[in-house]
Amino acid sequence: MPIIDVRRLSKWYGPIPAVRDATFHVEAGEVVGFLGPNGAGKSTTLRILTGFMGASSGEVTVAGHDVARDPARVQASLGYMPESCALYPEMRVVEYLSFRAELKRIARSKRKIAVESALRDAGLDDVVARPIANLSKGYRQRVGLADALLGEPPLLILDEPTAGLDPNQMREVRALVKRLRDKHTIFLSTHILSEVEAVCSRAVVIARGRVVADGTLDEIRALSRSSDLIVRAVKKDGRDDAEATRALLAKLPGVQTVDATAAAAAQGATGEPGTFVIRLGPDASSDDVAERVVEALVAANQSVREVRAGKTSLEDVFATLTQDQTRDADVDADSAELHQQGETTT
Amino acid sequence: MSGFWPILKRELFVLFVTPLAWVLLFVFLLLQGLHFYILVSHFATQPGLAVDGGPVQAFFGQTVLVYLPMLFVCPLLTMRAFAEERRSGTIEALLTAPVGAAGVVLGKYVAVLATYATLWVPTVFYFGLLSRIGEIDWRVVGTGYLGVFLSGATYLAVGIFASALAKSQLVAAMLAFVAVVGMFMLGLGEFVFPPGMVRDLSGYVSVWSAMNELSRGVVDSRRLVFAATATVVALFATVRTVESWRWG
Repeated sequence: MPIIDVRRLSKWYGPIPAVRDATFHVEAGEVVGFLGPNGAGKSTTLRILTGFMGASSGEVTVAGHDVARDPARVQASLGYMPESCALYPEMRVVEYLSFRAELKRIARSKRKIAVESALRDAGLDDVVARPIANLSKGYRQRVGLADALLGEPPLLILDEPTAGLDPNQMREVRALVKRLRDKHTIFLSTHILSEVEAVCSRAVVIARGRVVADGTLDEIRALSRSSDLIVRAVKKDGRDDAEATRALLAKLPGVQTVDATAAAAAQGATGEPGTFVIRLGPDASSDDVAERVVEALVAANQSVREVRAGKTSLEDVFATLTQDQTRDADVDADSAELHQQGETTT
Repeated sequence: MSGFWPILKRELFVLFVTPLAWVLLFVFLLLQGLHFYILVSHFATQPGLAVDGGPVQAFFGQTVLVYLPMLFVCPLLTMRAFAEERRSGTIEALLTAPVGAAGVVLGKYVAVLATYATLWVPTVFYFGLLSRIGEIDWRVVGTGYLGVFLSGATYLAVGIFASALAKSQLVAAMLAFVAVVGMFMLGLGEFVFPPGMVRDLSGYVSVWSAMNELSRGVVDSRRLVFAATATVVALFATVRTVESWRWG
């Protein structure tokens, strides 16, 4: 049974939809990224999962318990780090965690050990006795993480765990998440793709409140509308004519566009002379096109050094997946602005 | 009720670690000391005293001086309770722990009630002083304290409710102040309104009359029932408000 099971979840703030008809699940033991641009409904979804907010419609089951009917059971089986990661500034780190441990009903005899192991796991050993008010953003984030780890809940829900951190701190948090994935199922939200690539095995992509993709990272990459073929070829007599080769390749059936070196470099190609990035047409199979490309190049007395499938970056997919939705959002924002202007002028 | 103990402990910790409780204690005792000094010097010049009209009675009733600190202190004690948690965002971590709304509300309420009671404790010293130079009926002093405890309990419950309604401490304090002063004024209506239903209602909610009775050692169960009802209603409304945030 999945540890998180969300079915047809919707949440409306008055007339504004924050989450629309979202369905996804997370299996025990997975590390799943919840990916989406800012304002896509990530935090709202996580707040519903953790019982902080009620859903407008739909069913949410976490660790086998219905969140709407049995929030306390759900909350007892998960560790949650809210996005704001707000803490009580007047408490010391260890006081705060002891308070949280008691609140989470960790037995008195186990409390001290639970707090100590959370402090150690989150790397807080050197600030144990410091008032939270004096901690840097990075350390506060770690206190929030330590709080989520208290009592070793089977499920961790982390809302943008690296938001507002500097690159070193980000790397540390990601390393920590990697260490934790042996012991916990982790569901973390982020708008940073490299984070998902670094720590997650699977991603659920949300845009404008709708789940637009759900699968392993390779599956999501494959969603890109057209994939690329990278070809490197040089003329045997050494007199290269990039433009002629480009024109030759562009004429082949199944080829949409051909880019020469500069664009190719961006795609992870070596950038050496004679490198071309071929964008395939929507229905073309990359094997067929590769065959044609090689045949054509050989016929043109060129030696083919390299032919491989270009790896579409997650960024591209992300942009494609969320683009239409973003455009909607822009339109909405524009009309809202117009509406406001109308109001102020009248 | 889960969450009651840890929250009670944390709230007390916060009140006494931050200067708020100490500042309140200082100002409160300064006012009470002044209050007591005025009463004693007033009665020292009175040749004949009625049996039920001494400084003890005046300390707990009959003058407006006993109410002023109460009306100020209660909103200041309760303003933080929920407003600050919501402003700073800590409410999210609090309510996603396995706690119940009732436990959270009661933990916070009992903490301010205990702090309020603590404010009054040093004033027992005044009656110790009086007992050295005259006779003191400690049972009457006891009912006097019962009176300030009951009215405080009601005002604090109203204050906690106000704090759950507002997102800023200042608004919470003002809301609570308006509410408790409103209740106090409504009680004064028993001397203003013509005989009838409104006047009866005013008399029933009158803190003024309640304190006057209790300061003379008269314990009327209606006063106890009113204080308990008002407290329970305000706390229940707070619990429902906290639960309603899930749907905001």
